[in-house]
Amino acid sequence: MGVVRAAWLALVPVILFAQQQAPQEMQRAVEEFRALTQNMGLRADSPRRRAENGRKLPQWHGRLFENFRNNWLDAVPHEVVQRGGRQGMLRRSQFGFNVTGPVEIPWLYHGGRRTFFSFSYEGMRERVGRGNLRTIPTMAERTGDWSAVVDQAGLLLPIFDPASTSRNPNFDPGRAVSVENLEYNRAAFPGNRIPSSRLDGTAKRALEYYPAPNSDAGPFFRNNYFIFAPEVNRADGVIVRVDHNVGERHRLGFGLNSSNGVDGAAEWFPSIANPGPLSRDRRSRRGGMEHVFTRTPRTINTLTFEASTDQTANQPRLDERGNPFPNYRFVPYLSMGNSYPVSRNARNGFAVTNGFSARWREHRFRVVLQAARDQVHSFWPQYPEGSFRFSAGLTSLPGIVNTGHGFASFLLGSADYAEKSVVISPSYFRRTRGLVALRDQWELRRDLTLNIGFNIDVSTPRVEKHDRQSTVALDEVNPVNGRMGALVAAGNGRFGRAFQPTQVRPEPSMSLAWNVRGNTRTVARVSYSRSYSPIPIYSGQWGTQAFNGTLAWISMNQQLTPAVTLAQGLEAQRQFPDLRPEAANNTIADLVDSSGKQPTYQSASAQLEKELPGALVLTMGLAHSEGVNLLVGNSASNPNAIPLSALEFRDQLNDETFNRSLRPFPHYQRFDVYSSFPEGSYQRDACYARLEKRTSAGLSLTASYEYSKQMDNYSGPYGIQDYYNRDNEWSLTSSNNPHRFSMTYVYELPLGTNKALLQMNDWRRYLVDGWSLSGVTTMSSGEPVALRPQFNNTGGVVDSLRVNVVPGVDPRVSNQGPELWFNPAAFAHPGDFTTGDAGRTHPTLRQPGNQNHDVSVTKRFSVRADRTVEFSAAGFNFLNQANWTEPDMVIGTAAAPNVNAGRIIGSRGGRVIQLGLRVSF
Amino acid sequence: MPVWGAVEGVQAKVDGKSANIAGVLGPERGLMLLVVMDVAGDLSLVEPARKALADGLEKAGPEVYAGLMRAQDGLQVVLDPTEDRVKFREAVDAQAVGGRAALLNTVETAVRLGDGIMEKTGVRLAVLYITDSNITNYREDYTNPVVNSSDSRDLSRRFPEGLVKERISRLALSVAARQTPLFIVHLDYRSDRLNEAYQTGLMELAALTGGAAEFCRSVGEIPSAVGKALEAAMSHHSVVVELPAGTAQQVTVTLEAPGGSLRHRTRFLIKDK
Repeated sequence: MGVVRAAWLALVPVILFAQQQAPQEMQRAVEEFRALTQNMGLRADSPRRRAENGRKLPQWHGRLFENFRNNWLDAVPHEVVQRGGRQGMLRRSQFGFNVTGPVEIPWLYHGGRRTFFSFSYEGMRERVGRGNLRTIPTMAERTGDWSAVVDQAGLLLPIFDPASTSRNPNFDPGRAVSVENLEYNRAAFPGNRIPSSRLDGTAKRALEYYPAPNSDAGPFFRNNYFIFAPEVNRADGVIVRVDHNVGERHRLGFGLNSSNGVDGAAEWFPSIANPGPLSRDRRSRRGGMEHVFTRTPRTINTLTFEASTDQTANQPRLDERGNPFPNYRFVPYLSMGNSYPVSRNARNGFAVTNGFSARWREHRFRVVLQAARDQVHSFWPQYPEGSFRFSAGLTSLPGIVNTGHGFASFLLGSADYAEKSVVISPSYFRRTRGLVALRDQWELRRDLTLNIGFNIDVSTPRVEKHDRQSTVALDEVNPVNGRMGALVAAGNGRFGRAFQPTQVRPEPSMSLAWNVRGNTRTVARVSYSRSYSPIPIYSGQWGTQAFNGTLAWISMNQQLTPAVTLAQGLEAQRQFPDLRPEAANNTIADLVDSSGKQPTYQSASAQLEKELPGALVLTMGLAHSEGVNLLVGNSASNPNAIPLSALEFRDQLNDETFNRSLRPFPHYQRFDVYSSFPEGSYQRDACYARLEKRTSAGLSLTASYEYSKQMDNYSGPYGIQDYYNRDNEWSLTSSNNPHRFSMTYVYELPLGTNKALLQMNDWRRYLVDGWSLSGVTTMSSGEPVALRPQFNNTGGVVDSLRVNVVPGVDPRVSNQGPELWFNPAAFAHPGDFTTGDAGRTHPTLRQPGNQNHDVSVTKRFSVRADRTVEFSAAGFNFLNQANWTEPDMVIGTAAAPNVNAGRIIGSRGGRVIQLGLRVSF
Repeated sequence: MPVWGAVEGVQAKVDGKSANIAGVLGPERGLMLLVVMDVAGDLSLVEPARKALADGLEKAGPEVYAGLMRAQDGLQVVLDPTEDRVKFREAVDAQAVGGRAALLNTVETAVRLGDGIMEKTGVRLAVLYITDSNITNYREDYTNPVVNSSDSRDLSRRFPEGLVKERISRLALSVAARQTPLFIVHLDYRSDRLNEAYQTGLMELAALTGGAAEFCRSVGEIPSAVGKALEAAMSHHSVVVELPAGTAQQVTVTLEAPGGSLRHRTRFLIKDK
């Protein structure tokens, strides 16, 4: 009933009549309801609806869209401006369509209310310039001229001639090695120049593929290579869904997602020696079927089957013989050649799930049964042409830090470590999982609901289709030295097809929702859960060392003798498969943890939600979570580590034989645990508040703030110092941002039709109708400062050395800014063969915070009642906010301090604009 | 238009000018309540809603006729409007939970149906949706899911609520031209960004028609929310206002009563102009 003039005249007599005979009028209304619903096709016996022209009405809806980006719309990124660079090219087009509706096949099939489909296509074409600032050797260095090369303090970096090495007859073993008490004498190259006759031929040929410096960002000769290469990306994908109702009680659903793409990677070098990431082909397919059976209004059964595959393959750059370039590493310069140049991977998953839900009295039960099968197929040779590592040791003054250079060692062709991957065949890993999940939602009272859950999750360990798996068994005797630790293969000896036990995981959970004192405007919630996570199957061929080995060349003293020279090359030492117990000796051996420990998590939370006047909802809460046996990688776990007490042996540790003798498993250089060793722990506590402002005058807004503290004993960025004392590693998580604020908002401008302002009835309504503004703002405080010393002279005992704290010196500075973010004088470089006493991350110093503001403006045109055209302009970081980069956190020695320590040398970020057009029907 | 409050002596203004009141129907007269069930999700939420609905209507007088429709797979009549509460309870209890959410697809039809009945018979009428709909459960694609997972620089999904907003704005123009008040009880409030946009849209649609939307954050809130919606639907007055000649296509109507303030819809689109 309303204000339409044509209508009210008819309504008045009706109302008068109704006032006298209401029941009869209601009966008339019921008759009218029946007639209208019949005509509108809303009754089971309604005829099919037809349009005016007699054709069946298509009821398809969907959209067409295009999103467009171009560099001329964007701001020049701050990091590019600061380097004096120019804006890179960007051309990006993202386009597609979606259509949804009943399946209609003329003359064949009328889906009506039974069969529906949805089809989406999206394509993307992109060409983008990627910027990257790196350090490469100067042209003079490449010819052996190191006369102008300086260290981080600006002092000449001396290069010593390894051929001149001799034992110092005056060495006093009772005193530490120092410039005054050298164990070995070695002469510096005259004029700090390596004679051209000494330069290795292979190194010289390799350098032909090395580009020349093109930047002088500095300091000194650092940051002298600005990479600005184009990257070409492409993707095409579809999503198809079909639903079919079989009667009132059965529904079948089918779905398929398919996507093909190329992740282009900008080449860092325009040559076969490119060390940058490789372009990759990607292909993914997902398919599923679902059957929903509504047995009664209170019992539902859902059966689903899902299958998926994700495949990737690197696009290698090969030479004329079909081989990739070898890998040469000489930190801190950009290396040459790539890892995994010819690798491919496929992950397949299959899952059958049955869920049964039933309601009984005050209980709602749900039982889920699931069986799943995972497959990972990998062909993953890391260095098929070999990898050579060149360190400063061979061109240093033995025992003295800040002498020698890895690239100088490369010029001499002397590597301190080398390895070569030999992969005979791909690996086909398998795993089976099962799940039984029980849930009871129990309405204890009208205002109190208890959820109780219990899962039993079972997973078998990883097996390989052809049993081509191996590990080091730490309780097997090695025949070479009689020490514990020997290579074992699956299916041989006491081992079955797997090295880990089948895991059964009981996972309880509970939550309670209470409308406090019956107040429906206030909900209190508490929850608790305990869960486990299975050990994942990673991509790669880790744990197959007996079948696909890595040959290793290890220097017996990195300061004195090379492991191998470039001239010698890498000759295969053994054939594969090699199942001998000692086959992995003298290598970095793959170690599969067979302890049965699994990552375990617990969490608890309490939350209060309260509706406030003014369409506001306030949510406040506390959350605690913790985990043990978390899987960590090689930077946080080393079962073959030398105890720190061995540092007392000082320079003897540089002798590989002596060094090895101190390790628990001396016949291995170390173990590769491949992010799968259950030794990590963490704890996180947080409180948060969230305010929702529901729509009011077209504005809706959500703001949330969280304060958190997360501690752990494993997180990066550099790894841990003492593998045998994890309590000493307990510090702030390296990624912990204690303060996080975010706000999202949508504002439908109060202009135009049916709005408060500018109600136009003529053509001008096309201008004023349909404007809206959306935004996302995020702000967070910085991550903890993680300091590290410039040098690590610990004879290979400590992988990640910390700095020392200087007592009584405040690490904070009064006017914190890019010139000085923290006080480097509060920290000191540890002495040779000592550890640092600072934490892995600093407890109070934080890196600069970050903020970002995105906004989107849209304008909708209503073409017809059911069609709109929408233009949008989205600005990402639309304020062009420059976020400072992290400060230089490297602490130099007292003799050669890092002049940049504590300083911030730049900022990053830049406005990005995307324009969009969408037609909806 | 639907009005709440003491309407004795009510006076109307259209765009600030006095207008005649052609008729007023109050709670003492009959009400046709069209209940639309749009329940595709959780059994535990639907059961209390069924019970609260049937219980609430049992308390209503015989002048309230309640009909039942289901929204999934297109609006369909389940039970013609009736004063028989036993039949209504049986029909509600027999309603299966399942299928796909469909409020957005059916709400325009539901209010159009309501307008058709009101125009021809002059009864007081309201549409009440009981829904647990989640924007991800629609057959139509409002979530804009990632199609190409390899496209790591996709920014088009940074504002994911765009499709929901577009659909709501289209519906808003459509229902703004209707007279039937729309009430929505949403059983399953969700706080993710997409569903917030969706729920905000539902609130906007209900408000446009002069109705209201209630959202339940816990099972315990469902009976009260259903009761509140029923009370609001049953207690509203329906007032017919004569539009003065020369009224624009978009009008603002204000009602004043000496007995106190009235809560009512103020903006109307005149569709026939």
